Amino acid sequence: MVIYLRSGGRLRERLRPDVDQYTRRVEVGGSPTLREILSAMDIPLALVAFGFSDGKVRRLDYRPGDGEVITLQPPVAGG
Amino acid sequence: MRIKVDRARCTGCKLCQQICTIEHYGEINPKKAAIRIGAEFPEPGVFTPRLCVQCGACARACPEGAIERAGSANAFVIDPSKCTNCGVCVETCPIGVMYVHADAPTPIKCDLCLKCTEVCNTGALTVADPPPRATSR
Amino acid sequence: MYGFGGTIVRINLETGEIRRSPTPESFAREWLGARGFVAKTIYDEVPRDADPLGPENLFIVAPGVLTGSFAPCGSKLGFGCVSPLTNGHADSNMGGHLGPEIKYAGYDMIVFERISPKPVYLFIDDDTIEIRPAGQYWGMGSLDLETRMKKDLGEDFQIATIGPAGENGVGFACITHDFGRQAGRCGVGAVMGSKRVKAIAVRGTKSLPVHDLPGLTKHTYDIIQRTKPHPNMEPWQKYGTALFVSWANEHGCFPSRNFQTTYHEGWEGISGEKLAEEVLVTHKACFGCWMNCGKYSRARIPGKPDTYLEGPEYETIALCGGSCGMTDIHHVAYANYLCDNLGLDTMSGGNIVGFAMECYEKGIVTKKDLEGHELRWGNIDDFEHFVGMIAARRGIGEVFAHGTREAARKLGKGTITFAEQAKGMEFSGYDTRWYSAQLLSYCTSDIGAHHNRSWAITADIELGQDTPVGKAPVVIYLQHIRPLFDTWCCCRLFWGELDVTPEEHTDAIRYLTGWDMTIEESMRVSEKIWNLTRAHYLERNGGPGRKHDVAPLRQLEEAIPNGPAEGKKVGSENFEYMLSDYYANRGWDAEGNPTREVLETLGLPHVADNLEKRGLLGRPIPGGIPKVRGQKLKPKAM
Repeated sequence: MVIYLRSGGRLRERLRPDVDQYTRRVEVGGSPTLREILSAMDIPLALVAFGFSDGKVRRLDYRPGDGEVITLQPPVAGG
Repeated sequence: MRIKVDRARCTGCKLCQQICTIEHYGEINPKKAAIRIGAEFPEPGVFTPRLCVQCGACARACPEGAIERAGSANAFVIDPSKCTNCGVCVETCPIGVMYVHADAPTPIKCDLCLKCTEVCNTGALTVADPPPRATSR
Repeated sequence: MYGFGGTIVRINLETGEIRRSPTPESFAREWLGARGFVAKTIYDEVPRDADPLGPENLFIVAPGVLTGSFAPCGSKLGFGCVSPLTNGHADSNMGGHLGPEIKYAGYDMIVFERISPKPVYLFIDDDTIEIRPAGQYWGMGSLDLETRMKKDLGEDFQIATIGPAGENGVGFACITHDFGRQAGRCGVGAVMGSKRVKAIAVRGTKSLPVHDLPGLTKHTYDIIQRTKPHPNMEPWQKYGTALFVSWANEHGCFPSRNFQTTYHEGWEGISGEKLAEEVLVTHKACFGCWMNCGKYSRARIPGKPDTYLEGPEYETIALCGGSCGMTDIHHVAYANYLCDNLGLDTMSGGNIVGFAMECYEKGIVTKKDLEGHELRWGNIDDFEHFVGMIAARRGIGEVFAHGTREAARKLGKGTITFAEQAKGMEFSGYDTRWYSAQLLSYCTSDIGAHHNRSWAITADIELGQDTPVGKAPVVIYLQHIRPLFDTWCCCRLFWGELDVTPEEHTDAIRYLTGWDMTIEESMRVSEKIWNLTRAHYLERNGGPGRKHDVAPLRQLEEAIPNGPAEGKKVGSENFEYMLSDYYANRGWDAEGNPTREVLETLGLPHVADNLEKRGLLGRPIPGGIPKVRGQKLKPKAM
């Protein structure tokens, strides 16, 4: 399935957006957690406070659905 | 066309007031804005944007005929060449959103330039089609 | 002059004399506003032996160049004086709507001198400036008074007030505005109260003079449209700073029970999500801000009346919540309200109450001391009673009313070992045992332990949490970034969270003032201010600097007992390494004293002369000072 991850700030540099300036398209097999997806992308988990989609906080053990767009909220984007 | 106000979404940021005076007077001066933000604090803790709803009561009351629908937005607009600043429109306004300002040539009211809806980031001010309404209130 | 109100006001509270003078453009350009105006004026004018609560201290209120200007969140207002907590520089800024109002009334700085014989408030209505009697207001809570003055004077007025704590000279008293924004730190409320100034009420109806309004308008309008869909806009709008609570716990920097540990059992009950679910009433914004991080809330506790407050934001959740053992967001919100109305900084206040709770736990403070009450972790009634004692400086409240360092001095019994403070001002909401850059930031801060001087937590993540290497240059860079926002006086969160660059802010200054402002010039002002307030601190407190840049023992040597950061501590050796690295990178000598070379490079030769006269000047550095002081963090390679 395909999910979309979005972020700004320094986290965006690690995300390497390819859809628009914030968004990265990610193909995943099975039903992984956000934690597993980010680890596979070499994104340090410590730089992600939580995911955010549909107006709700998604902890790193959340399993995204097909086509879901998830914002990655860093602890602080710049600093 | 009208500006729809969703007061539950207003945060009191006054971006709308800044852009209003920039647009109409070439100034940054929120106190000359056609939109006013009521604030009820400490209780219940809500903001209420208040601006002209284009009901036309001021136009009907103006003794000089200085207020008419004009422009692409078809809003009620005051013609400064006819306005004597007598203030009857301000007194007549059923929702009290018109006011006289010492530095403005006419009383201040919204002319539906819509700039406020472009800067508002919460959905408190959006553009909507007017609902069916009677011509008088 | 474009971009500024145009007039500086000085008020002699003893004689009632009010003097106005035009704001010199050279002064405005050199110091930019707010934190800059304050640093320069305090250094030049307040005698080094002045009592912070005495007549020779100045109390300064100053917006900055971008305040009120349609730049992103041009809302902020600076306050400054000499601090009763640290005996050094005091600098605190506040959001809300008062800063722009002062600019629209035509003013760039208001300096209060001496002490009024009776309680007064400052009344400004454009060109009218009056010192009006405030006897009828004296004794009122901060929030209660703002409610009253809005009725008395009109909704158009922006109001800032102190509470009973400021009136009584509590060292960490704050100033409150707009029903819940504060100038919280350094005891600025105590200094305002020492002058018997109960409130400031301002209405300004003039237009801000702008050099290129179409340019400025398009510039900010484009930034608004660009940032609206930014990924981090929605979480910030929804939770504000409280969104940090979960990360802080999961990564071991959240203070729990006076920093005894850094994972707080029950933190979910005081998280940003809980705030949004349980207590939130309205999202509230500062002037010109479209990320509205303010959360206006209602606390509901059985047996108590509903209370309304702005907050709790992260720091209050960390310090009144975690550090006091609370797990219920209603309790934290209520604690926030209590502090706001009494006029106590929730940050120092929460930290101090947590410290007192540990003293109670250890039997150093007793029920008898507490007038028959207790001081249990997480107990809101105990919290309420105790902060009342502090605000009134009643009984044991007096011991805690001047900060944890002073309390520890009075109590003895080893209490200094668990007083989390630097230079006499309490740590804000971050335990640093796994975040050594943040510890360095706290301990080298000019005003005492405040993260807003440089927020270095993610620098620790990027550089490696278990090493002291490479931390100092990054902390220095961040210590030059933050004053940008404190002098321009706009909110740093557009830069910090929404990718609005510092250069976009200097572009705004260019449109506003017509000055060819660059980021390099602004950063130079930051470094200049940093060295100036360092010199001021040394001149007041003696030297060498290294003697004062001291870390709390718990952070250095007491390993975190459990949670994600179990076993972590910074270690004295690592701390000393970072300090030495810091001084070298700053162009200061190994003892932490600024050198003549760095001061003259920054255009401060007279400061070098003053330090030299007092035997405080840093020894010259062989090979010279670094050409560039401070280093921007480079992300670790993938």
